Amino acid sequence: MASEDEISLLVIVLDVNPIWWGQQAQREDEFTLSKCMDAVMVMANAHLVMSRTNKLAIIASHCQESHFLYPSKHWKAGDSCGDDSSSAGGDGKYEVLSVANKLISEEIRSLMARTEVKGHQTDTLMAGSLAKALCYIHRISKEIEGKVVIKAAEDCALQYMNFMNVIFAAQKQNVLIDACVLDSDSGLLQQMGLLLELCGIYLVSDLSCR
Amino acid sequence: MDEEPERAKRWEGGYERTWEVLKEDESGSLKATVEDILFQSKRKRVRYVLTMEDQDLKPNRLTATLKLMEYFVEEYFDQNPISQIGIITTKNKRAEKLTDLAGNPKKHTTALKKEVDTACVGEPSLYNSINLAMQTLKHMPGHTSREILIIFSSLTTCDPANIYELVKTLKALKIRVSVIGLSAEVRVCTVLTRETGGTYNVILDESHFRELLLHHVKPPPANSSSECSLIRMGFPQHIIASVSDQDAQPSFSMAHLDSTGDLNLSLGGYYCPQCRAKYTELPVECKVCGLTLVSAPHLARSFHHLFPLEAFQEIALAEHTGEGFCQACQGELKDKSVFTCSACKSVFCVECDLFIHDTLHCCPSCIHSQGPS
Repeated sequence: MASEDEISLLVIVLDVNPIWWGQQAQREDEFTLSKCMDAVMVMANAHLVMSRTNKLAIIASHCQESHFLYPSKHWKAGDSCGDDSSSAGGDGKYEVLSVANKLISEEIRSLMARTEVKGHQTDTLMAGSLAKALCYIHRISKEIEGKVVIKAAEDCALQYMNFMNVIFAAQKQNVLIDACVLDSDSGLLQQMGLLLELCGIYLVSDLSCR
Repeated sequence: MDEEPERAKRWEGGYERTWEVLKEDESGSLKATVEDILFQSKRKRVRYVLTMEDQDLKPNRLTATLKLMEYFVEEYFDQNPISQIGIITTKNKRAEKLTDLAGNPKKHTTALKKEVDTACVGEPSLYNSINLAMQTLKHMPGHTSREILIIFSSLTTCDPANIYELVKTLKALKIRVSVIGLSAEVRVCTVLTRETGGTYNVILDESHFRELLLHHVKPPPANSSSECSLIRMGFPQHIIASVSDQDAQPSFSMAHLDSTGDLNLSLGGYYCPQCRAKYTELPVECKVCGLTLVSAPHLARSFHHLFPLEAFQEIALAEHTGEGFCQACQGELKDKSVFTCSACKSVFCVECDLFIHDTLHCCPSCIHSQGPS
């Protein structure tokens, strides 16, 4: 186990392109965005529980923007959201977890509701979300290492240059990137893994067995 | 030749045993003895030009320089993955190649690590080292940028011929020479760098040394007189084979055939598109057909030198209206001034501005608008 002083930061970049998820729901009823979110939250909770000093951030990558689901910028660090004391104390759950879960579900609900979807592209702005993730890591952890987990749908060829720039920046910062691709191979992420030795893990998940 | 290392030891030894000498001397005045010893040691230092064993850079100049050189090699290949470096050392009025021109940083760093143990001996020779470098660089194609970086600690040089003639040849070949001096400014270096278009700096301390080295990592601005030509490059695909494949047979990589280290058989690798020779690492020049093999990310890395990101506009925090959060890191804007991207008008804090320009090379918000739809 890590020593008490070591802080481990986990940043999860989740692809929430509504068009892709919509098509996905038509292909297979079982696996929807909510199920995926649940799985992600399990992982996030697990990370937070491993050590008191662990930090978390989740970024949703949408077709026109990337949005931080957690932590919310309007929520100052250290606050335990005074209004929610009732829910926090309710079932004896570790406070951080209940606050985080609540926040994440609210944020993603509002994100999906408010964003107008233009066009019918199924690609997402992975490079942009990664760039924001790196800036966040850079701010939070001058000394500690961060880790980014990506769950992604499909690639967009237009983003190649930007994606590469972001990957090199991550390499320089010693940030590990694990990639989990749903349903189809991603050439970009594969390149990143093989050539730059940056990926911890590269895995393509078959949706039926998740 | 054997005498000189001996003298070196005696010089060091003499310094260590100073107190003994003082003790022995009872009749003569102490002051005179001390002065004499100091004078002797100074004389020796100047005569045998052992300046690299000088201790003004800890633990001594040679070790500090070698360590910084390793750092330089790594940073250089990080910024310029399709370039090559060769290392030449000079001592005893001769110059010899430490490593050949190669694109693999590991070779250079291992060679540099071994050099820590060598003794500094004799006088350096600028002429011989530049000549040796020139022999190799002469054969490089015209569209490449050819540079020589000299780390010079001594104040003298011992040359077999007129160095100013050599400067003329360098100018004709369009080779840029830059010098980093560790002791003091030397006129011949000033002339050398001025004529060839390089830079000459003398270091103040170790951090200044590091800064100057970093300055040389970035490629020089493209010279308009360099020839433009089409360069042939191969982009091999990575083939991964497993033992269970019927056709898969383990083979050696062409790059390892020359090396004396362990030869490893490997199943997959990169196959040259022209001659199908196998390599395990990129970038590399194919030994069989001479084609430069690179991968797309390597080129992408060199790309941002050609199209650098524009500097952001600085405005005072008071003048900024809108959200009080940096759009990259989501942190509160607390500094005196904030930075705005002229293209997308997003706001960033000081830290993110530095990070974006030094490491990221792309504006996080602009990327979003470049996406599809």
